[in-house]
Amino acid sequence: MLRTKELTKTVNSQGQGLTILSDVSLTVNEQDTVAIVGVSGSGKSTLLSLLAGLDLPTSGEVHLAEEPLHQLDEDQRAAVRSQHVGFVFQSFHLLPGLSALENVMLPIELKEQKRAKERATELLEKVGLKERLQHYPNQLSGGEQQRVAIARAFASEPKILFADEPTGNLDSENGDKISDLLFDLNKQLGTTLVLVTHDNRLAERCQRIVRLEGGKVVADEASKAVLDKTAEL
Amino acid sequence: MLRMAFRTFRRDWNAGEVKVLLFALTIAVMAMVAIGSITDRVHRAMGEQSSEFLGADYTFESPRPVEPEWIERGLSDGLDITRSQSFATVLSSGNNFQLVSVRALGGKFPLKGTIEIAEKPFTQGVVQQAQPKAGTIWLEPRILGVLGVEVGDKIDFGSIQLTVDGVIVAAPGQASEVFNIAPKVLINLEDVKKANIVQEGSRLSHTLFIAGEPAVREPYIQWLKEQKNSTQRITGGKEGTPALKAALARAETFLRLASLISVVLAGVAIAVAAGRYSQRHFDYSAIYRCLGMQIRQVHKLYLWQLLMIGLIGSGLGLALGLGLQSLIINQFSDVLPQPMVGIGLAPVITGALSGLVVLLGFALPAFLQIAKVPPLRVLRKELLPRAMSSWVIYLLSIGVMALLMWWQSNSLLLVGILLAVAVVTYLLIRLIAWFIFKIGVWLGKRGSLAVRFGVGQLKQYPAFTISQISAFGLAFIIMLSTVLLRSELLSEWQSQLPENAPNHFLINVQEQEVEPLESLLKENNVSTEGIYPMVRGRVVGLNDMTLEEALDENQQRTGAVRRELNLTWTTEVPEANEVTKGQWWSEASADDGRTEISVGEELAERLGLELGDVLTFSIGRLEIEGEITNLRSIQWDSFQPNFFIIFEPGTLDEFPASYITSFYLPLEDKNVLNQILKAMPTVTIIELDAIMAQVQSILNQVTMAVEFIMLFVLLAGVAVLYAVLQVSREERLLSATLLKALGARKKFIRASILAELALLGLFSGVLGVIGGEILVNILYSQAFNIELVLHPWYWLVVPLISVSFIGVVGWLGLKHLLNQPAHQVLREL
Repeated sequence: MLRTKELTKTVNSQGQGLTILSDVSLTVNEQDTVAIVGVSGSGKSTLLSLLAGLDLPTSGEVHLAEEPLHQLDEDQRAAVRSQHVGFVFQSFHLLPGLSALENVMLPIELKEQKRAKERATELLEKVGLKERLQHYPNQLSGGEQQRVAIARAFASEPKILFADEPTGNLDSENGDKISDLLFDLNKQLGTTLVLVTHDNRLAERCQRIVRLEGGKVVADEASKAVLDKTAEL
Repeated sequence: MLRMAFRTFRRDWNAGEVKVLLFALTIAVMAMVAIGSITDRVHRAMGEQSSEFLGADYTFESPRPVEPEWIERGLSDGLDITRSQSFATVLSSGNNFQLVSVRALGGKFPLKGTIEIAEKPFTQGVVQQAQPKAGTIWLEPRILGVLGVEVGDKIDFGSIQLTVDGVIVAAPGQASEVFNIAPKVLINLEDVKKANIVQEGSRLSHTLFIAGEPAVREPYIQWLKEQKNSTQRITGGKEGTPALKAALARAETFLRLASLISVVLAGVAIAVAAGRYSQRHFDYSAIYRCLGMQIRQVHKLYLWQLLMIGLIGSGLGLALGLGLQSLIINQFSDVLPQPMVGIGLAPVITGALSGLVVLLGFALPAFLQIAKVPPLRVLRKELLPRAMSSWVIYLLSIGVMALLMWWQSNSLLLVGILLAVAVVTYLLIRLIAWFIFKIGVWLGKRGSLAVRFGVGQLKQYPAFTISQISAFGLAFIIMLSTVLLRSELLSEWQSQLPENAPNHFLINVQEQEVEPLESLLKENNVSTEGIYPMVRGRVVGLNDMTLEEALDENQQRTGAVRRELNLTWTTEVPEANEVTKGQWWSEASADDGRTEISVGEELAERLGLELGDVLTFSIGRLEIEGEITNLRSIQWDSFQPNFFIIFEPGTLDEFPASYITSFYLPLEDKNVLNQILKAMPTVTIIELDAIMAQVQSILNQVTMAVEFIMLFVLLAGVAVLYAVLQVSREERLLSATLLKALGARKKFIRASILAELALLGLFSGVLGVIGGEILVNILYSQAFNIELVLHPWYWLVVPLISVSFIGVVGWLGLKHLLNQPAHQVLREL
């Protein structure tokens, strides 16, 4: 589903080349759930933006759904995203000018699929926002906004979902609800999930944990939950 | 606190947050200072120039010799004063006689402007500032023909002889005396006594020409006004001739309006930028409050910010405005009045101060909001300060605007008009916002995704959209009004002076000369405006009473009842006249035995005349009565022969008439005049072309001035557009980036931005048209006395221009959104 080879990102900082990521090689299979963890500045977010084709690597390869993202221009990458990718952001990033329903409809419409309204309504019902369809983002609480964002992320039935600290801006109660929702929907729809987080509890819910330090992968292993489960067997 | 304010300011400066506000304020002050200074300078220079028409800054006319002490006082104050006497007399040479109007000069003339004297009639002369030497005389060209003399010949003047020293080509005061029948001559005051020509009881006017620095001149004029009696008259530089007076008054109204408009635009730009600034500081304010700062302290912090912005913005605006105005004045020195006067202090101070006042009036409400953010916002971002009642904000803004307008214009009427427009505009904006909502919903169902997205952007913050539409709309209202008023002014001036308007008048044409004259003109391909009869008569009675019985003292002093009038008869209402009361005569009423007359409405009002009143005229030794059957408005500045009183055709047949005609003669055909004088020596020629060229050049300059001001208003409008685009930049960036992350292509983002801009343009354009028509028509009726006129052509043009303008400017400001790297934006926000 997702494969990188010697992925490296260098930026110019005060005249000097600063390497943020070096030689990251990863393979994520279909329906995998992978957590990318690490301290601030370890390169997690950069890796995520390269994986999703929001940015281009300095060297190395990224293949998403068999498309070589590192060779595509911006519009071509956008087309890949609209076909295969969903996003959940830490600060929700709903479009303020659109209602909850319109926000969820947007990716479906961008993908030029039918029945956008029905499917968006269905998803919003699933995340428990049946009563909030016509509300605008500024009329929703943080938890509600993130639920709309999750509904939007799944709306286009993406093959792969990227989540950047999805519970980072929420209290623990709301955070738990959101992560439940995320993993439930993921399971129901058989989506591949790649999430970046500080939150160990959230990371533990994934099958695999990739740990970054100073831009390098220092650990790539099955999560404790998976290990526990394996141990039980 | 001050140190913290500095730090905050520096941080905001680095982050680019105050730049928009500062930009708006700078533009505002720049526009105000530049417009203020330019209008002030052009205005004062035009005043100077109209002094040139008068020959001085002021004239003082008196039927009796002016008290010598009065003149002494002015001279000792350091003013230039030239004494002169005017009277009518007859010049003769051999058997030829001519009635002339003499001006005898006791000193340098003119004090303002120049006089042009030539050696031969109808040629170019030498420009000078002087008076004829004792024993010499300067004559208008037509006199030479009548008297049969040339330069160097002697003519009889009372008991002495004067040598013809030159021909007057152009002299100050000509424009005001176009219809003075007697041709003018200039002599030296010394010769009046020698010639023994003025006797006790002669009708004679003593005129002082006064010029000097305003600081000395104005108090002296004020003092003269207190001394003078009712028979004495002071004419100021600005009150030149009727045509110029009207032109100047209109230009003044227009320039004043332009200053006001720049104030309004500035306010809009500042309000938009300040609103945005305060929203961006809600988070800081919440954190300050969390950290224990009191509301009062936060208020103080942001008031310091406001003051710093105000000082820097005003300073920058002042410097740029002054630079700009001197650049423009220099650039266009060819077409501006000369000599140009220096920069006045008043508009500079007004501009800088009104910058601060505008900033306070329009930015203060937004800045006061900042401190009122609930501290809980640090946890719940959606919390906003309780909005100040919008009425308070509007009243404050309107109050400030009114104050500034009054300050700049000194005209409560203009302030009232503009405030009324402000309120109407506000109501219109609400209406259009509702319209946007409806159309948005409608398009939401039918439009393409990009269009729906664009509509969504507009629907997002109705209040913000409304302020954008109001800013754009206002700019278009103002630009439309400027264009319409300008073309109105121009076309009025043009129609006042049509291209081939008659520039020569012939009077004193005898009945037997009418036919030869007609054929002579025809031979030379000169077409006339018709040849009209003229009978000279005096009004001697009203409704069977003498004037002394019928009129009060004040009415008896009216010029028209004290001197002989030119009476005429016509079948049709003359061109520059309009019947305002009663009925013009028809052929059917010709034989009804009544003698119908038509009277100019101003005269009728002055004398209290009504329809049905009967006036008695004394013509020669006969008397005739005429019944007033209609009143006319007369356009006195039309350069056509105008008559206070017109008779029904046929009623004056028994009186000896002379004839008057007018025609257009280009400069190269001037020799026709010599032919006329040779064939009919008693005909009097009045040359208007030189005077009309003077007037035309003044009008051209006024028009140019008006166009500069228009340029400024346009620039101020662009500033508003820019401010509005700047402040919505981040929101747009976020939307565009999110769309990209969600997989939208550039084409889609471009389409949605263009759709939004186009809709914004459309709504603003519609607002501009509606508001512009209202404003223009109010101004037409109030300031220019023009009745309701609609401009359907502009209903199409303005929205089109608005859509393309906002589209292009907006696109230039927004196209970078397409190229911002998505990952960067998402991380920064």
